[in-house]
Amino acid sequence: MSCLQKDADRAVVVAVTSRAVFESGAEGDDGDEVYKVGTAFPLLQALQRVNARLLEENPAESLLFDVILVTTDLEQQQQSSRIISSTRHYGLEVSKFSFSGTEDFIESLLTNNVRLFLSTDRNEASHASQNGVLSALLDQNLASCPSEQLRVLFCGDAVIRSNISPMPVSQQATQSFSAQLGEMRQRFGMFDSPLSMVLMTARGGRESCSAALLTLRSQGVSVDEAYCLAGAPRGPILSLIRPHFLLSNSLSDLEE
Amino acid sequence: MSLNSQTLTGSGQDWTRNGSSSSSRGPMENESMILKPSTPTRNLIPPKPENAITIAVSSQVLFNMEKEQQIYKQQGMEGYIKYQGEHETEHFSPGPACSFVKALEAVNTQLRKLYPDSDELFDVVLMMNNDAEVGLRLNNTINHHQLFIKRFCMTGGNSPVSFLKAYHTNLYLSSDPGKVREALAKGIAAAIMFTPEKMNEVSETQLRVAFDGDGVLFSDESERIFKKDGLEGFQEHEKTHEKDPMKQGPLKCFLEALGKLQNKCYVNGQRMDCPIRTYLVTARDDGSAGKRALNTLSSWGLEIDEAHFLAGAPKGPKLKEIRPHIFFDDQKSHVDGAVEMGTVACHVPYGTANELS
Repeated sequence: MSCLQKDADRAVVVAVTSRAVFESGAEGDDGDEVYKVGTAFPLLQALQRVNARLLEENPAESLLFDVILVTTDLEQQQQSSRIISSTRHYGLEVSKFSFSGTEDFIESLLTNNVRLFLSTDRNEASHASQNGVLSALLDQNLASCPSEQLRVLFCGDAVIRSNISPMPVSQQATQSFSAQLGEMRQRFGMFDSPLSMVLMTARGGRESCSAALLTLRSQGVSVDEAYCLAGAPRGPILSLIRPHFLLSNSLSDLEE
Repeated sequence: MSLNSQTLTGSGQDWTRNGSSSSSRGPMENESMILKPSTPTRNLIPPKPENAITIAVSSQVLFNMEKEQQIYKQQGMEGYIKYQGEHETEHFSPGPACSFVKALEAVNTQLRKLYPDSDELFDVVLMMNNDAEVGLRLNNTINHHQLFIKRFCMTGGNSPVSFLKAYHTNLYLSSDPGKVREALAKGIAAAIMFTPEKMNEVSETQLRVAFDGDGVLFSDESERIFKKDGLEGFQEHEKTHEKDPMKQGPLKCFLEALGKLQNKCYVNGQRMDCPIRTYLVTARDDGSAGKRALNTLSSWGLEIDEAHFLAGAPKGPKLKEIRPHIFFDDQKSHVDGAVEMGTVACHVPYGTANELS
């Protein structure tokens, strides 16, 4: 399949589990048909849109998203041709399909220089995170939002905690990925950006949120929207913010 | 509605509850009765939105951002952000909503003394659609003026109105007519705030809120009659319907919320000087029209501390006497008149007086 050649050093590799992209084993699932789209599908489209806009601004742009599909699921691997044809069918730009066993899964993520791993499986995300790969859990309700713009939510309560040394590996991963996002964001102006950086402090108030703003700024991220809740319930705000995924150092920040 | 005062005798009647006159300041006397064993300094956690009376205030009315607005007009968003960044450590000067917000906190302080464990308090949320970087400058300014705002909502280029409901907003104040109309359409009490050139001095211990009647507390039904049938038709109608309550207007719920807090200031059957005082300032006269207004409030179980029936006389002077922190009216002319005389007045773009052509 035709795919943009990505500069290995500059590409921002995003790995997504195939289970998150396509719904397999669903009812009425006919062996030869393309899969129905899953939770991560709108996210992949948004990533693609960002790439398209980046190239519009600069056809020689090398800071682009590079999406790979991963799975350790044997069943999925047996269906690999179907996954590949489904990908083609929906016009998804996937540069690689990485199938591995559970033991060498982490290694395969690291070998592929994955900057962000996305899954709908909490255990999978947690496991990767504990092994130094920045991971985000895709939430059914949030990720399937119809927003065209890629919306990334930074959980501010975690951002401010991050001033402990030595810095855990996962934190380095978060910061370097954030910096890359920040750099991408800078390619666009105030309005009509294909990606938006959103900050939320659920527990913290004004001071915490301001501190998080400063921290993110020092990490190269200029925030577009900020919401500090100081204990107000998260649910209603999250459904309005509609992030594709949340970035946090700890998965527990994502719990209500 | 504007009544020609020349056709009526007298300039209208003032009616006040409990005999206190409108020019008295209302300090919290008799503090000894409310003392509980001294509580340690509480870490002031903001109240839960469901229990609090949430006032959403736009940064443009909380602080004076005139210069910045000029730059925005001349240099666009990029120039505006650049300017804000260069002046990050400079404070904004107070805007028209500042004294109102400070008075809200004064009420909270009293309520906390009486009910240390309750979170039925005022909560102010700062709403802005600026770039989040501007928030840093606002943060510094809020600290400088010692305002108690804990929550904010910076929505980038999006309208803040959808977030108002999420924050259980009881009142939204902004300088942007579009956003205020949008909020009103979503059933949220909202008003466009204006800045007097020279603001009157207001109490620091007692919150004073003044309301117009028709089109604010009450629906615009009587105003429509006035428009259609003139003053006489209106008077007839009000006489016939003196005992019939009118439908509610956009700010009725806010008055209700104030009343809820006022009721908490009655302790042990003793009414103290309440830290909240409410006023009705209406062009209605004190005949049937005025009575109908009071009957309506009564039927809703609501009270107002002072009712001023001006029978069409200008509201500016009366408001200057009262010195409210905020005044709401649906007629722009009354808002302008109030602002001219130093009152922070807000326009409620609702009903027949404000239909967009």
